[in-house]
Amino acid sequence: MSICEKYFPREPSAPVVSSSSTGEASKAEIKTLDKTFDSRAAYFVADYQKSEGNYIADVDGNLYLDVYAQIASIPLGYNNPELIKTAKSDKMIRAIVDRPAMGNFPGADLKEITLKLLEFAPKGQDKLWSGLSGADAVELAFKAVFFWYQSKKRGYAKPFTAEENESVMKNQAPGSPELAILSFERSFHGRLFASGSTTCSKPIHKMDLPSFKWPKAQYPSYKYPLEEHKEENKREDERCLKIVEDIFSTWKCPIAGLLIEPIQSEGGDNHGSAEFFQGLRDITIKHGALLIMDEVQTGVGATGTFWCHEHFNLSPPPDLVTFSKKFQSAGYFFHDPELVPDFAYRQFNTWCGDPARMILAGAIGDEIVKHDLAAKAQEVGDYLFKKLESLQSKYPKYLQNLRGKNRATFIAWDLPSGDARNKFLSDMRAAGVNIGGCAEASVRLRPTLVFEQKHADILVAAIEKVLGSY
Amino acid sequence: MLRSVHRTTSAARIAQLAKRYSSYASSVFPDEPSVPQLKTEVPGPIGTQLNTNLGDVFDNRAAYFVTDYYNSIGNYISDADGNKLLDVYMQIASIGLGYNNPALKQVAKLDEMTTALINRPALACFPGVDYQKVLEDGILKAAPPGMTKVWTATTGSDANETAFKAAFMLQAARDRGSRDFNQQELISVMNNEAPGASEKCILSFDKAFHGRLFGSLSTTRSKAIHKLDIPAFPWPKAPFPALKYPLKDFENENKQEENRCLEQLEDIIVGKGKGNIAALIVEPVQSEGGDNHASASFFQGVRDITLKHNIFMIVDEVQTGVAATGKFWAHEHWNLSTPPDMVTFSKKFQAAGFYFRDPELQPRQAYRQFNTWCGDPSKALIARTIVQEIEANNLVAATASVGDYLFNNLSSLFEKYPGHASNIRGQNMGTFIAWDSPNADHRAKFLLACRAKGVNIGGCGEAAIRLRPSLAFNESHADVLCGIIENVLGEM
Ligand SMILES: Cc1ncc(COP(=O)(O)O)c(C=O)c1O
Ligand SMILES: Cc1ncc(COP(=O)(O)O)c(C=O)c1O
Repeated sequence: MSICEKYFPREPSAPVVSSSSTGEASKAEIKTLDKTFDSRAAYFVADYQKSEGNYIADVDGNLYLDVYAQIASIPLGYNNPELIKTAKSDKMIRAIVDRPAMGNFPGADLKEITLKLLEFAPKGQDKLWSGLSGADAVELAFKAVFFWYQSKKRGYAKPFTAEENESVMKNQAPGSPELAILSFERSFHGRLFASGSTTCSKPIHKMDLPSFKWPKAQYPSYKYPLEEHKEENKREDERCLKIVEDIFSTWKCPIAGLLIEPIQSEGGDNHGSAEFFQGLRDITIKHGALLIMDEVQTGVGATGTFWCHEHFNLSPPPDLVTFSKKFQSAGYFFHDPELVPDFAYRQFNTWCGDPARMILAGAIGDEIVKHDLAAKAQEVGDYLFKKLESLQSKYPKYLQNLRGKNRATFIAWDLPSGDARNKFLSDMRAAGVNIGGCAEASVRLRPTLVFEQKHADILVAAIEKVLGSY
Repeated sequence: MLRSVHRTTSAARIAQLAKRYSSYASSVFPDEPSVPQLKTEVPGPIGTQLNTNLGDVFDNRAAYFVTDYYNSIGNYISDADGNKLLDVYMQIASIGLGYNNPALKQVAKLDEMTTALINRPALACFPGVDYQKVLEDGILKAAPPGMTKVWTATTGSDANETAFKAAFMLQAARDRGSRDFNQQELISVMNNEAPGASEKCILSFDKAFHGRLFGSLSTTRSKAIHKLDIPAFPWPKAPFPALKYPLKDFENENKQEENRCLEQLEDIIVGKGKGNIAALIVEPVQSEGGDNHASASFFQGVRDITLKHNIFMIVDEVQTGVAATGKFWAHEHWNLSTPPDMVTFSKKFQAAGFYFRDPELQPRQAYRQFNTWCGDPSKALIARTIVQEIEANNLVAATASVGDYLFNNLSSLFEKYPGHASNIRGQNMGTFIAWDSPNADHRAKFLLACRAKGVNIGGCGEAAIRLRPSLAFNESHADVLCGIIENVLGEM
């Protein structure tokens, strides 16, 4: 029996899309919800109690195979029985009912909860700080980086000057220093003010918001298939590394940290090679800056290793690794003790995370390790990738730049245009598959970790059916 | 709208209600201790050991003591050594209904909660079938007068920053008129430059606290340690009134002080901030900054100025909201002629976000106010229960009433110790009461002495002491609190 069958004996064997349904119930509910809560981005209204495993139910009675999974944030399928157990445990009830201000009044079990999360820390990391969302995680990481950077200059735990103490209350240097985070074109790191300043994927994400004038380097654009373009792609790495090096040497203020996704997800599923990432690691060390890996979307098994950057074998490991989404809890891992700010109450807020989410993350990690789900994702990913390759030779126009080989189910491809992509996504829904896009004309797969061969077969059959009709 | 929550209640009615409802704690927490129970020092040996161990994996330098949440009950927090302290700090003002509240336990066990926890939706893309109803029966039911819409977030800082985003986007949309984004905007924004990236700002007040992410921290002006080494936007700040107490003795001075602040506010707006201020954010009581109050007429003045200059007024009710001031929302005390544009919440509501009035504060294009989760349905369920408990037990009126009782008792108590406690404030503001120690050292000693006698209490600002009890705090708790404070002051 497969893991998925064990978890979900009642998982549907195929999507159910009623041909007569025009989504009337969803439309009506969206309209009502929209009166009080902006619902213009809603695909449909889901019925989570009826969703099961890899299948999401909507209020019109449809059951879709879900390879989008709440924007890559459902790890173990809907209504996973092990997570239900966790959610009903005394520990969870307590965490929900009496949410602590953890920094001031840590619960007696906080160490145990934290140690559990640290079991799943990326190689080389042994500490963590918690937040509540991807953007929050990324910005908390920035704060740690800026504290670190200034304390390197000042001396760790050296007192602040009077000038710093005064100027900071006016939001002026030297107390509020001019420092930058370097990120990449086409990156996505969130939508609050600092994370938004590093995001560079689409104007609509940023328009009309004040932002810090922080630099952007270029992320490699490879030619596919990779095997056939080794030389060109190597030159592309070199070109991009050179740009990073140049920015470090010429930017108008110090760059305290470099922030990058192991695979740029919202920006189009753009990949970088291990050599490229090692190059970045070397440059950051050379310039005394920290390397932040944003694993909010890539983390937690989906690329075949628990953390995607583990594919790169970086030496030394990154300085901070941010997480959220599939882990359900958010925050960043780190290892340098001096990334704990030199004084108390610097990295601080009311809740400092959420034990309820941390407990859930622990349970998710346990299941992934127990059932070796990252390796299983790698297997099914390989299987799926091969099938997609053969479809590609049949429909090359609609499966361009197929990418994500050896990255488990973290697979994507391009359609000829944004319109063609959007039509494809909606035709797929009619064929029973809930699937997402990214960037202008890409399709991305973000199934759960209990997505297996039989699901891959259904997915491929649906793609073939849709493309066959074009 | 939740009539019974917002109804203004006469003094006589409050007294009557207080009798009827002061039993909230005794009915829901029959096993709550009647006085603090101390077995060891606080923290005791077990807690100290646990805290030392915790330091291996968690920055615990801000920890007061390691807490045993299983054995905390009602208004009493238990530490790891089994000491039970009367808690008037309540997780930095974020536990509304007392520890281990049975109504919250019940909702935590519902299948509805389980599904919300383990199938967390990307709300804006795939809202669940029940979200509308959960909002309607909870968060929206408690919407401040004049507010009909909500956007949900995850923390106080996040709530404020999403409100800032709404303000920036609508101001820009108004400047832009009916046209779409132009090429120059589309290109410049990707370089973080104007005109696509806004040069506008958010105006806040001196001593304000609105959170610690980069946008919110740029509006926070409470203490240097909150802000040092973090890049900030060069946004302006206006002075906040420093009132003299007791208010009745300083009516003229205080009026002048408030006028001075309003004048300076307007000077900034027409001076160096001209045309550049998207929104103003203000707390009804500046909490982290020292529990600084201002009069209803000051806030009406702020409202008038913001309306006159087309600046959105954001009221930050993260700490003041959810009944603690004797109204569901503290800004209801002001009876503004025009409600604020946005009201942010978090903490005691457990769910975070902002309410708003003008439908245009929802950006014209989809996917602008957006992120993966857009809130958390499991917290919306908790908020629903909190609203229902407050309504069913009339906890707004009960808090107003016990607050009056406590204020009067503390006032007469402090008359006996004039050198130790001054500027008591928060009259007619429920239990949202504070006073000043002569200096920070004295305050630290006072807080520790209270803890040693079984009261957990917090400070704010330079030398202030603030009370942030739960809504289940009643006259008997007030008596215990006053007794211990008197003891401590007597020994200082
Ligand atoms: C790589 C990455 N970082 C950060 C974020 C922001 O996460 P959130 O939407 O939870 O703020 C995302 C969201 O898509 C992401 O993909
Ligand atoms: C008035 C006010 N706004 C915002 C915040 C920030 O909330 P959080 O700590 O949840 O980010 C606080 C926290 O103390 C607050 O008191």
